[in-house]
Amino acid sequence: MKELTCEDVLMAQMAAADGEENEEQLGAHIAGCANCQHELKQLQTLDHLLAGHAFSESNLDLWPAVEKGIAKRSALSWRPFALIGLLLVVHKLLEMLPAQDLGMMFKLVPLVIVALLFVFIKENPFRINTELVLER
Amino acid sequence: MDDAEAIKRCQQGEREAFRHLVERYQKRAVAHARAILFSRSDAEDAVQESFIDAFKAIGTFDTSRTFYEWFYVLLRNRCYKMTARRRPTESLDEALLLTAQPGMSAETTLGLEKALHSLTCEEREIVCLKYFDGLSYDELATHLQIPRGTVMSRLFNARRRLQRKLSGLREQEV
Repeated sequence: MKELTCEDVLMAQMAAADGEENEEQLGAHIAGCANCQHELKQLQTLDHLLAGHAFSESNLDLWPAVEKGIAKRSALSWRPFALIGLLLVVHKLLEMLPAQDLGMMFKLVPLVIVALLFVFIKENPFRINTELVLER
Repeated sequence: MDDAEAIKRCQQGEREAFRHLVERYQKRAVAHARAILFSRSDAEDAVQESFIDAFKAIGTFDTSRTFYEWFYVLLRNRCYKMTARRRPTESLDEALLLTAQPGMSAETTLGLEKALHSLTCEEREIVCLKYFDGLSYDELATHLQIPRGTVMSRLFNARRRLQRKLSGLREQEV
């Protein structure tokens, strides 16, 4: 069986203090370890200090700003796409003109338009992560 | 109106029903965002934008979860994005995150705030959720999407660093 380190014991002891772990078998180690006794006492003091505080509350009414934001995003939602659609149709029509060689740059125009839209919106407008996944 | 009804109405496009959810959860959300960002104005911006995201994505709401559990993911992702974009030199506001219970001095609270500020966002988040929101280890594991063992070790390491920082601050004062 793996021997418990001071860190293992202290971690388990604090979890036991939180009511999350059973503290049996830890007592023997702590009773014989001055380092653990000292650190445990400090951690318990911290525990007491934290328990004596709460989040400060302030008057807050975010609804007007949220409502405005929702309206703004709703208004924004179709216009860039409509503009992109229009530009792409114009691009396609120009491309279909007979005997026209508009060069490589012309072919890259649709890509540039989409890239600019993403830059304008500052994030991928098609994705909102509602899964329990932390993005980094 | 309860949350389920408000969500149903929002899904039908009734914007006013969303007000119920914003008003019910805004204070809790700002406190959580401040725990990560340590700035009142950034926290309010993050919460505001997350509520807008939530309204936009309400059609995908998973009814097996509570609204706040679902919303917390949006909020957390936005807060971490903001911390990644924030310049290290940017000053943090001085409005207190914490309020002391009777018997605690203002200096103690200020010292605790300074020590909390020195932790990483993840450490500060877990300490705040544990102590100021009263979440159990299992609830922390669900909220933070980490195994229970990681909750235990992350919380322990955060407490240890916090304790050491506080000791350092006390020594500086003497």
